[in-house]
Amino acid sequence: MARSMWRGAIQFGLVTIPVKLYLATESGGIGFNMLHKEDLSRIQMKIYCPVDDEVISRSDTVRGYEWSKGKYVVITDEDLESVPLKTVRSIEIEAFVPTDEAEEKGARFVKQAYYLEPDEIGRKAFYLLKSVLAETGKTAICKIVLKDREQLAALNPFDKTMLLQTLHWPDEIRSLEELNLPEEEIEIKPAERKMAEQLIASMGEEFDPGQERDEYREALMQVIEAKIAGEKPVPAKQSEPTKIGDLMAALEASVAAARETRRTGAAKAEKAAKPKPARAKAASTSTRKRKAEDEEAPAARRRKTA
Amino acid sequence: MQATQVDAPFDDADYFFEPWWPGVRAFALAERGRLRLQADGLADATATFPEMGELLGQLGEDGVVLDGTLLVLDDDGRPDGGLLRARLGGDATAGRPAYVASDLLWAGGEPVTRRTFRVRRRWLEALLATGDRVTVGHGYVGDGTLVAEALATLGIDGLSARQLSARYRGGPAGAAWLRAPIIPAEPRARPTLALILRLPLAD
Repeated sequence: MARSMWRGAIQFGLVTIPVKLYLATESGGIGFNMLHKEDLSRIQMKIYCPVDDEVISRSDTVRGYEWSKGKYVVITDEDLESVPLKTVRSIEIEAFVPTDEAEEKGARFVKQAYYLEPDEIGRKAFYLLKSVLAETGKTAICKIVLKDREQLAALNPFDKTMLLQTLHWPDEIRSLEELNLPEEEIEIKPAERKMAEQLIASMGEEFDPGQERDEYREALMQVIEAKIAGEKPVPAKQSEPTKIGDLMAALEASVAAARETRRTGAAKAEKAAKPKPARAKAASTSTRKRKAEDEEAPAARRRKTA
Repeated sequence: MQATQVDAPFDDADYFFEPWWPGVRAFALAERGRLRLQADGLADATATFPEMGELLGQLGEDGVVLDGTLLVLDDDGRPDGGLLRARLGGDATAGRPAYVASDLLWAGGEPVTRRTFRVRRRWLEALLATGDRVTVGHGYVGDGTLVAEALATLGIDGLSARQLSARYRGGPAGAAWLRAPIIPAEPRARPTLALILRLPLAD
């Protein structure tokens, strides 16, 4: 059973359709870990400051935004928390636009595709929306908050469900001006056009993604599997479910009982609110104690061994 | 983040108090639909606690790192030191393991350690649904001494106190995370727990 990575609802007008999102794709790459050559242990990355020539800890770092070459402004936690966080779990439809127009104007720059799964109560509205989109050739342009960020997305019918594709914001799409493209139109002779048309026609066939394979990955996996030499871990037996909730309920009950005892028991019992123990003080008392023991210990030991 | 030991339980409105669950500190890493458990002193915690695969189904997002405790419970649902030792010793069938999550380090593929614990805790609650073996640990703001009194009756000997306004720190936690000892009040601690469990609270 696939795991949904987001739960929320499609919203437009007064309609709310509860849905789950599933990643539609996964990266097929084979992952490696970096190991120490000598003992094959996992290596650790340290944070290094080249100016002071020392390894520093993560807590000694701050977040900097480079606003001009070599010039940074420090952004603190407080700064980040002052940015209003969107926590709404909804796919808000902003507009319905013709699908081909959407494609032309940036809906091709897809970041990630997600499958939608309607909750049972929302099925009818979900499929109604889907069929109307399909019949009218429209795409729903919407906004969704994923990973704390507002994203632009396009919603389209897809097979037995709908596909939500998160898009790049317009200012994230690079201009073609950066490329060296000809200004004037290239002249093409009728004979050349004919030849190209014939070539394309001869290679025309139905698109069948099932035929395409990542051959490099398959070959690499063969090499890896040959090295592992057939040692498969045995799946362990599963024990009975635990019902960890019972333990939490026991905790809740005992805290409630303790609260009750405090309230009803000695009404004037002194409030146990002790100030937070200072660590420095704690340390010094224990050091003192340890010193005292050290002074007594040798004598005692000598007596025993004698 | 390693907790700082203090002398006794205390009250402080900037602290979140939880039981110091008697188990093994463990990080749970969920990435691209795969789960890895990293526990103190265990080479391969995922193999030692195979049941924890359940965790994946309870997470609302991918790219998540949780900080929590692996427990082994007995048939009555109480944490059991003996069963835990058996499990750690390689008996992958001993007791009933459970995972209590207390903190959130990554969410949605990005670190959240620079957020305050108050924010991380809220996100953790939104992200992890309670399952048969997995839950976000319950806790209380401010009333440290009260929680300590309650824990004494449960036979739990430690109180965890996390500072709500602190971010997650690598290494020693300083004031961000404290551990206070609890002296169990009476020897009849266990019967009390058994009695509570029989109350119809769980349903």
